Amino acid sequence: MKNILRQVLHSSKFVAGFIIFGLILLTMLIYPLINPGNPLEMIGVGTFARPGTYVSVYDSVTTDTRTFNLSDAEDKRLAKQLSDEDRVAMLEWFGAMDIDVSGLDVSDTDALLDLWRAHYDPDARPAGMTNARRNYFRRLNNALLELEASDVFVLAETDDETGELVQKSQISKTDYVNVNDVANVKTLPLGTDNFGRDVLKELVSACGTSILIGLIAGVIATFLGLLLGLLAGYLGGLTDDLIMFVTNVFTVIPSFVLLILISYSIGQEQRGATVVAMVIGLTSWTWTARSVRSQVISLRNRDHVNLSRLSGHSLPRIILTDILPYIASYVVMAFILQVSSGILAEAQLSLLGLGPKTTEVPTLGLMMNWAMLYSAHLNGSWWAYFPVILTITLISFSLNLMNTGLDQVFNPTLRD
Amino acid sequence: MKKLAALLLAMILALSLGLTAQAETVTELPRNETLYFAGQQWGTVNSWNVIGTNQNNAMAIAGGIAGYRTLMFETLYMYNFMDGSLTGLLADGDYAWNEDMTELSVKIKDAAKWSDGTDVTAQDVARTFEIGVEIGNGTGTSYGAYIAGIDAVDDKNLVIRAALNDAGQPVNPLKLLDFLSGVPVAQAAWIDTVVERNGGDAVAILNDAGDDVVWSGPYTRYFADDTKVVLIRDDNYWGQDASMWGKLPVPKYIAHAIYADNPAGETALKAGEVDVCQQFIGNVQNLWLQDGLPISTYYEEAPYGVCLTMPTAWYNMNIPMLKESAALRKAIAIAVDYDSIIANAMTNQSPSFNDAPRSLMNPTEGEQALYDHEAVKDLQWAGNDIEGAIALLDEAGIVDSDGDGWREYNGEKISLNAVCPNGWTDWQASMEIVAAAGAKIGVEITTLYPEYSIYQTVFTNPNQTEYAIFMWSPDGAGPSMPWGRINQFFSSSFVGVENNWSGNWGQYVNERADELLSIIPMTTDAEELKAMYTELVEIYLTEVPSFSLMYRPSVFHAVNESVWTNFPTGDDGRNIPPADCTDGYGIAALYELELVNP
Repeated sequence: MKNILRQVLHSSKFVAGFIIFGLILLTMLIYPLINPGNPLEMIGVGTFARPGTYVSVYDSVTTDTRTFNLSDAEDKRLAKQLSDEDRVAMLEWFGAMDIDVSGLDVSDTDALLDLWRAHYDPDARPAGMTNARRNYFRRLNNALLELEASDVFVLAETDDETGELVQKSQISKTDYVNVNDVANVKTLPLGTDNFGRDVLKELVSACGTSILIGLIAGVIATFLGLLLGLLAGYLGGLTDDLIMFVTNVFTVIPSFVLLILISYSIGQEQRGATVVAMVIGLTSWTWTARSVRSQVISLRNRDHVNLSRLSGHSLPRIILTDILPYIASYVVMAFILQVSSGILAEAQLSLLGLGPKTTEVPTLGLMMNWAMLYSAHLNGSWWAYFPVILTITLISFSLNLMNTGLDQVFNPTLRD
Repeated sequence: MKKLAALLLAMILALSLGLTAQAETVTELPRNETLYFAGQQWGTVNSWNVIGTNQNNAMAIAGGIAGYRTLMFETLYMYNFMDGSLTGLLADGDYAWNEDMTELSVKIKDAAKWSDGTDVTAQDVARTFEIGVEIGNGTGTSYGAYIAGIDAVDDKNLVIRAALNDAGQPVNPLKLLDFLSGVPVAQAAWIDTVVERNGGDAVAILNDAGDDVVWSGPYTRYFADDTKVVLIRDDNYWGQDASMWGKLPVPKYIAHAIYADNPAGETALKAGEVDVCQQFIGNVQNLWLQDGLPISTYYEEAPYGVCLTMPTAWYNMNIPMLKESAALRKAIAIAVDYDSIIANAMTNQSPSFNDAPRSLMNPTEGEQALYDHEAVKDLQWAGNDIEGAIALLDEAGIVDSDGDGWREYNGEKISLNAVCPNGWTDWQASMEIVAAAGAKIGVEITTLYPEYSIYQTVFTNPNQTEYAIFMWSPDGAGPSMPWGRINQFFSSSFVGVENNWSGNWGQYVNERADELLSIIPMTTDAEELKAMYTELVEIYLTEVPSFSLMYRPSVFHAVNESVWTNFPTGDDGRNIPPADCTDGYGIAALYELELVNP
């Protein structure tokens, strides 16, 4: 045993896969401690908030300020409202309105703005200009008006008795607050999804559910495959024929089609995560059964098995002590592959809308399903689906890596 | 035998060559003469039979909530949902009521002609209605109960006679106005041809392909297969007469590629392959703010369009606890976070229930003015009132007595489902939010998304108990609104109707509401009307037989100005509604389009 473990740990592939998988598991355990709460809670109103740190505006205006005179502050402010493209577009407006711009330097902000103020008319409808373009100029003009706004913003409150606005404080352009002093700051490393849920929190929780689904599916598929393979291979004869008949029938029907049909007919109300896992397990045992059977057939007439049989040992004992240990390494590898394909199967099913019920637990497939339904891939909300794909890839990559590593250790033809 | 095979082969070859040739002419539609659409036509066209059913021919035959689509077949009047007005199309001038509102006279324009050059006559209108009742098409089923008959006084003048009730009053004069703008007129001679060739068999007439149909509108069929539908302008269109438009519509071709789904249509709109898009696009403002595309909507700011309808969650009264307990119904309704629904499902393309408080009216000014806001103020709710909902349930004795976290009704655990069709994303999101509200007040609600084909057979079945809370939209706008919509919310005439697509899907019965609904159509006094509408709103907000989840446009209207411009906008003073340049008075836009690069 010790020797086997040493051999396994010697395989760099297995170790790499194990570390990746371990890190994922570790994140699953630790992250909920840092960021507790219901992963399905809709914290944001509206769809797809971008990743980043959100600072409460309400709290920051009441936080103590420090004054900083930063030389590039004004330039940054200007650049945000008036890009180079906007400057070129302003020339387009002047052109459409037949205004002489000879001698105007586009980079001369003051001159440009003076000319703009003098000639922009929000109600003008220059010939040949589309409504979308007119709207653009109106927005640009509003942004420029904001830029010209006075140097201070006044905060006012409504007086309860008179109903009038009473000035409370002023915010000037040089006021800064320390983010650490603001009462409410929320960092969303992966933004929010279409329901306004914290994607990272959901992802970590979904990862757990998906791995659980993979494990349940893997256990069921491996157990079924192993049992049938052992019986068919060792007993042979009619039992073998019968079992192989059933296995062949299942093999020729594509298991994913079977999966879709079963999931559909169960109906959404009954489709919890466990049920989906069981369905996946029940449809993916065939190849395990076939490979175990062929391994067992080659073991069946070995001397030690014959000896055991001559000594009058019972069937379970022969299978458990004389056959199983010799194919144990193979079964472990098959199990790892089953887990990996179980996770993928859940993702595929959910993507088709046939996954677990949506209100109870997040799964990786459901996250992708909702991201797709809300066209995250079209509107540039990469954070809603890309991390999910990456996670699925990492999980199945690490599991396959472990499998390959084990293969190199146990398979005599591959052993170095 | 060999010869036959050779012949066959040659024929197939010739046929395929012919087909590709035809396909080529269509792919080569000149871009600057073609207006491309998306979001209207799904799947292949079934027929061009304007008096048939199930035509699946969205560009030519479509009675939308925003008005009838008059590209190929025309109505007497065009409805404008911006101001509720009716503008004459085939009809000349205004319609006229007689004193008792039992007869409505309409004159047909002298210039109005069919595509075969004959005049559009009063007999055509009469025959269109008559055949509708005879074979039971959409016109017949929608208006048969309200219109006794249509008489042609002479070639150009007709009188529509209202069906009368026992008291000798018209059953519902508002429906006569709906007829004016909702029914496409078909040619009497053509109707006779169709009847004759089908031997008078109603089902055969309804399913006739109508390839020889005679039309009166500015466009006609040019090409249709499973990839696209193209209409071509009829340059002999009568409407270029000075008594109508005085000119032809600008685009020569109207084309609609058949897209697989919404994202495909949205992608085409972004690429400039689609000019007018009737699809819900989440965060539509990002198309111009972030992507800088030449795309715009009717209004530049939220809600971007005109919301006319309100997708509603209906309580199923076949489920005893929902029927018996108004407190349970109201508690769920006030706990739902509508702001989240509007922000998530509609990406804020809808006024909130703070902007347009909850009633039976859509958020347009005209309907909002029809009830007394102050009188029902205390009954209205904006949602997310968890404490209020909990108090309401506690008070009604609906509590959690066995400590499992869920409340019971008469000892039975409350477990309801919230249902809408699978793939209807914005509705699914709404149902998720309804379920989340249930969890907060201790009422178990799970979501369920069956396929539409299943959903539609269940929710239209008056005896179903499978769906407890389910979604459907009442009608949006029309001359008979808001009466028509309120009728859908309340009328017991829909209760027990098999295959019910018409209204009151929750099977709710309220006698006082029925009574008010029967009086309103006959009432003309504005104050009386207001009092009655206010009472109906009161009943609705107290009894909560259903609750609207959001306001929503009946048609979406986003345009890409890569090729065409001068589409209607909210601030251009032209009063053309955002109805995709095709529906009701919205078609006026087609006559004013301009090329960006002429």
